[in-house]
Amino acid sequence: MFATRFRQGMKAAIPIWIAFVPSSLAWGIAAQDHGLSLGEVVLMSAWVYSGPAQFAVLGPLAEGKSALQVLVAGFLMNLRFLPMSTALAPFFRGLKWWQLLVASHVISASSFIVPYMQFQKDRVAVSANSPNAQAMEGYGNIAFFLGVGVTSFMVWVTGTAGGFIAAFGFPPGFEEALKFILPGYFAGLLVVEMKGRAMALICLGSLIAALPGALASPAWGWLVTAMVVATLGWGWEQWKLHAYK
Amino acid sequence: MEITRLQIILIMGLMALAVRAVPQLFFVGQTFPEAWDRWLRYLSYGFICSIISVTLFMSAGRVEAAAAPRRAVALALTIYIAHKTKSAVTGMLAGAALVLILSWFH
Repeated sequence: MFATRFRQGMKAAIPIWIAFVPSSLAWGIAAQDHGLSLGEVVLMSAWVYSGPAQFAVLGPLAEGKSALQVLVAGFLMNLRFLPMSTALAPFFRGLKWWQLLVASHVISASSFIVPYMQFQKDRVAVSANSPNAQAMEGYGNIAFFLGVGVTSFMVWVTGTAGGFIAAFGFPPGFEEALKFILPGYFAGLLVVEMKGRAMALICLGSLIAALPGALASPAWGWLVTAMVVATLGWGWEQWKLHAYK
Repeated sequence: MEITRLQIILIMGLMALAVRAVPQLFFVGQTFPEAWDRWLRYLSYGFICSIISVTLFMSAGRVEAAAAPRRAVALALTIYIAHKTKSAVTGMLAGAALVLILSWFH
């Protein structure tokens, strides 16, 4: 069962691998430009494993800014994993703490979205009641998650090392299509799973509000607008539910 | 005491792991109340849409004004095709093909 679900996860992760190639190469090239060694590049990609945080700290690291400044910048960028990890936790019941600790290392925006959408779909299809069935569901879910997460992680680490070793240039048009793959895939996943007016409004609202939010604060703005829009949509739905009771 | 770059990377990784692992260890297998569960779900969808928007339309803290219209058209096509075919990959491939063609004409 583990192998089957792992393979399913791998298959679902293929668009993530394709999208990770240019961004990981770009980070490897940028890191080389900023004077990091190959060892530091591989260590950072494997141990921190967070594209936005890695890009955010490159400048301060290279300029020799204080350790506190670098760590705070990285920590703030990585805070976005908190709600993602919380949302995934209910699907991993029956797992031991050390298994969760190891698996949580490969949580990223991409490796969160694909399994999360899949688990939502599975939850509607199968509702496990007995403790044994719940544990089986947890193991199946972690296998799928690792199929997505571990393989994407390997592509990321290999890509950054590759980018460091060889400057890589895609033709402009090709790069444009590569840039579209990941957001396009996420949009497709959302549309396929779309249910109810509240979800559609939250998605549209977050999509639009993210831009002014990110312009106001590149690190936090889009996160804040997403939280505000989602909470407003949820509040509106709650109010409607109470009004009809 | 001077902290080396290697030590900074190691501490940064530990902090990232803590942010990822703590909710896993505390909330594993828990079933949240229905309203909380829905809020968490909506929050996740909001984050996903914000990531789509920022990844597609922004670069280095600025809106990519020249590329934004063709990417918006490709996103609309992706949504339409994914809705019609019920396949995220088909929608994504159609959108990527369109954005590629449009960028060649640009």
